[in-house]
Amino acid sequence: MSGVPDIVNPEALEEKRIFLLLSSPDHVRERNIEVIRELSMLGYHTVVITTNFPYSILIKLYRGAGVDPGAVSFIDAVTRNSIGHAENIPGVVHFINNPGNLTDLGIAVTESLKEQSGRKVCILYDSISTMLIYLSSANISKFIHFVTNKLRLMDVSGIFLAVEKGLDPMLMSQLTTFVDTVIDTEEK
Amino acid sequence: MDTGILDNALVMIAVLGEKSRIISWNHAAETITGYTREEAVGSNRIWKLLYPDKDYRNSVTRQIVEILRTRKYFENLETTIRTRTGESRIILWNTKEIEEKGQFHKIAVGMDVTGQRESDAFRESIIDNAHVLLAVLDPRGNIQVWNKAAEAITGYSREEVIGHRDVWKQLYPDAVYRRGISQQIAGILSANNYFENLETTILTRSGDRRIISWNTRQIGAAGAYHEIAIGRDITAQHMAEAALVGYMAEMAMRINQPVRIIGDNLRETARMVRDGKLEPEEIAMLLDGQVRNAAQVSENVTEFQKALVEKNREIPEAYRKFLGG
Repeated sequence: MSGVPDIVNPEALEEKRIFLLLSSPDHVRERNIEVIRELSMLGYHTVVITTNFPYSILIKLYRGAGVDPGAVSFIDAVTRNSIGHAENIPGVVHFINNPGNLTDLGIAVTESLKEQSGRKVCILYDSISTMLIYLSSANISKFIHFVTNKLRLMDVSGIFLAVEKGLDPMLMSQLTTFVDTVIDTEEK
Repeated sequence: MDTGILDNALVMIAVLGEKSRIISWNHAAETITGYTREEAVGSNRIWKLLYPDKDYRNSVTRQIVEILRTRKYFENLETTIRTRTGESRIILWNTKEIEEKGQFHKIAVGMDVTGQRESDAFRESIIDNAHVLLAVLDPRGNIQVWNKAAEAITGYSREEVIGHRDVWKQLYPDAVYRRGISQQIAGILSANNYFENLETTILTRSGDRRIISWNTRQIGAAGAYHEIAIGRDITAQHMAEAALVGYMAEMAMRINQPVRIIGDNLRETARMVRDGKLEPEEIAMLLDGQVRNAAQVSENVTEFQKALVEKNREIPEAYRKFLGG
């Protein structure tokens, strides 16, 4: 890995673009860490919405990859679902009871972005594919539409991670209309 | 007059004198009406018996008077008589004036067309009540029959369509699509005299698009062929099939994808455990998460099965049975 970002184009990020990042199932976590590292190098604070691994483990993985933990905060939809109780830590993590609770997720996105206002912020959503466990594709589509609208209104860039070829063509075509750029990391 | 011919005729024959008085009443007239020669001959009383309803009798009389104003006979006048037993029979009347020994008489020939009319009505009723669009085209392509289902599906009434052949331009307003369909039909007809299950999309008068599955047959002989076109509206079936395909795709995605994710998560957890990166509590948390994911996938599968079998009544029965196991 060079010091030059090679997944997300910095100019496109500056333009507050929204990306759909596709990865093979084996490389989703790896891509997540690479993107965080690139964003961190570019001076972004990343709000990671995690529906797969608890924030405590992700932060350990990021630290292991040389990412400053202060450059990342979380909306964690896993921990409470797993251990039942966890207190929010302002500026670090907001916990959601269940990845299917879109109302709480929407509120947490708004609050997290407010907490980071004044900084160069990017949202990383990991991952749309995991949401399929808890939500229908119609609800996922509505939620992504809501989040992308919010990001545009708040002038924030965003990256949505998904497993390539894992989404049906209908959902995929809807998602591509919500984002500015689709990046298939397996084609690079 | 040859009474043998009159009596053996298969149609009612009555010879009428002045003021419609019956002079002769043949055997067929007796059989059809139930009134004997003795009862009929000698007066015009029989007409009151055959047309007991005064209003109807007057309307028949008015029609006859109207016809006889311009000529001395009438042709194919259809009336309904009441027989002695109270049955109604439809009689097709033709008359002719004859002169015999210097006297003028009218011969009324009545053909009992009750059976034919009932059969016509039955046929028309079948055509009209069929739940399929039915159109009959003459050799020039003009529409001769356009049933109620055709009216309901297309929005074009029988009056607008019959005798013309331009309804197809309205049903297929896109010239390119219309040409494509015409070529397809011509191609099929060059090999067979009919086509089966040809699907086309029509535009109805109200602007809806309907998918029609067409079947045709040729009827007639000696070069004068008519085409019967039967069109089944399969729009709902197509929509149900599309919904089913969509639902199956969603189901496949929401089962396959999560199961792979759970597998990948467990594989990664195992790798991190081997690398000594996780504390026992973290391992438990990760495993708990995957257990919960698996339980949710199982719930989703149950929900899908229920939805398919119980809720989605639009799905064809055969599919429902298949999906219901």
